[in-house]
Amino acid sequence: MRLVSMRAASAICALAFTCLSLTPATAQIATGRIVSAANAFLSTLDNKQRQTVLFTFDDEKQRQRWSNFPTGFVPRGGISLKEMNATQRAAALAVVSSALSPRGFEKIQQIMEGDEVSRIKEGNNPMFGKDLYYISMLGKPSEKDPWMLQFGGHHLALNITIAGERGVLTPTLTGAQPALYTLNGKTVRPLGQESDKAFALLNALDEAQRKQAILSYRLADLVLGPGQDGKTIQPEGLKASAMNERQRAMLVDVIAEWAGIIHESAAAARMAEIKAGLEDTWFAWSGPITVTPGNNIAAYYRIQGPKLVVEYAPQRLGGDPAMHVHTMYRDPTNDYGRRLMAK
Amino acid sequence: MTKTLATAAATLLSLVAPASAHRLDEYLQATIISVEKNRVQAFTRLAPGVAVSSLVIANIDTNGDGIISDTEQQAYAERVLRDLSFSVDEHRLKPRLVSVAFPMTAEMKEGLGEIQIEFTADLPGAGGSRELIFENHHQSRIAAYLVNCLVPRDKNIQITAQNRNENQSFYRLTYVQAVGRPDPSSLGLWPGVRASLGTVVLLLFAGLTLIWRQRAKHGMPA
Repeated sequence: MRLVSMRAASAICALAFTCLSLTPATAQIATGRIVSAANAFLSTLDNKQRQTVLFTFDDEKQRQRWSNFPTGFVPRGGISLKEMNATQRAAALAVVSSALSPRGFEKIQQIMEGDEVSRIKEGNNPMFGKDLYYISMLGKPSEKDPWMLQFGGHHLALNITIAGERGVLTPTLTGAQPALYTLNGKTVRPLGQESDKAFALLNALDEAQRKQAILSYRLADLVLGPGQDGKTIQPEGLKASAMNERQRAMLVDVIAEWAGIIHESAAAARMAEIKAGLEDTWFAWSGPITVTPGNNIAAYYRIQGPKLVVEYAPQRLGGDPAMHVHTMYRDPTNDYGRRLMAK
Repeated sequence: MTKTLATAAATLLSLVAPASAHRLDEYLQATIISVEKNRVQAFTRLAPGVAVSSLVIANIDTNGDGIISDTEQQAYAERVLRDLSFSVDEHRLKPRLVSVAFPMTAEMKEGLGEIQIEFTADLPGAGGSRELIFENHHQSRIAAYLVNCLVPRDKNIQITAQNRNENQSFYRLTYVQAVGRPDPSSLGLWPGVRASLGTVVLLLFAGLTLIWRQRAKHGMPA
């Protein structure tokens, strides 16, 4: 018995040691991969294009130049896919892909495809299209020094700060319009999981919990959308400490839809941070508590923890709110990796 | 008036069909309130949708010259302030404008611009449980209100409840304000105290140095 316990303890120690030593190494490999992809992309550009893409790391104006609006309304910095040749475009998307998880990259592509659907649907409206997405970098790609990768356009703003082995995805905006479309015979809902998982969580709550979670007022928009950096609002709704294990697991699963956009090792570190503050994390819902099967919810929800803000906000803009969604993902203590920079 | 506004909005909506990417027929008014020991601060963002922007602009550009002058900006901000109501513990507060920022008129016309108004009001000194009520009645026919409160930086202030009506034109914030223990983050007191203490220590040190030198000069043991 004693021998078994000793063996078990040794195994646990070995596993812990392996995890501790592997995690930073895996993360460093991810950083190396992103840096290689970034440098490969930069090498495809001419000098003028490179100058357009690169900003200094301390360029706060560029850091905060992101929006949910189409690029024709709110111009982004950097260079658009439209301005690139096929090789450059492939290299640009390879940089974005290298920084994201496979599912994260798929989600981003579906958001862009949705904008293409809008372009076609509105008679080739030049305001929309999957080419109108911009890439920029703040600082030079480095495995050691901090730098930032931005990729965005209509309904998309990825702000990825990379500092050595660490990767920070906040603040990031995702959105979709149409939030449901057909492509090559398949139904696509770019933010479908965000909708379905939250709705499942709402339905897993008992009456008393729902009473806490469901807010009595209408929310017309994101509270902490673009331009609202560094703000921490008073949380509301149902606290995760009042949820059971299954409900808490479901809550974590909803959050993972945003935290899991970034590559696996950065997502794992982020999820560990979020789980550490889970007891103080709140879930609030506003709006309809039913959904047409196969469609997105038309309700707003917010998840707020010590180091987390997630907002899902359907837009009532001349149509079905379920078909037009804006979402926001923040860490008020570490947006743009500021906590890493302070160390 | 409601009918006129609705007709105008509907007409404009039909003219701006492709602009499905952004706010159309609402006037978003998002306020974030910050409570401190002796004052309350608020920051309101006002964003008219493209279908109602002409109506809003007409309200601001009172002389109709197509330019929103500084005077018109200030006058509009004051008008917004008059449409808001702030009270704490049943005492009506008098908010003062801190700053006003307007976007380009062209941006506003496209439903993109955001008017930003920051204001503040002094709070009558008190401790214990307090109740702050904020009401927004500005352009209520087309408004989409949002109101929230920042987590107080002063650890002596704890928010206990937030209540709103359905459209968020009414907001009640209940909080507890502890008395006695000064909060370093909200008061400028500590730097002053530290500076005074530092001065006293320096003076003492200088005095002792002088005494030691005199003793050494006269061959006295230190």
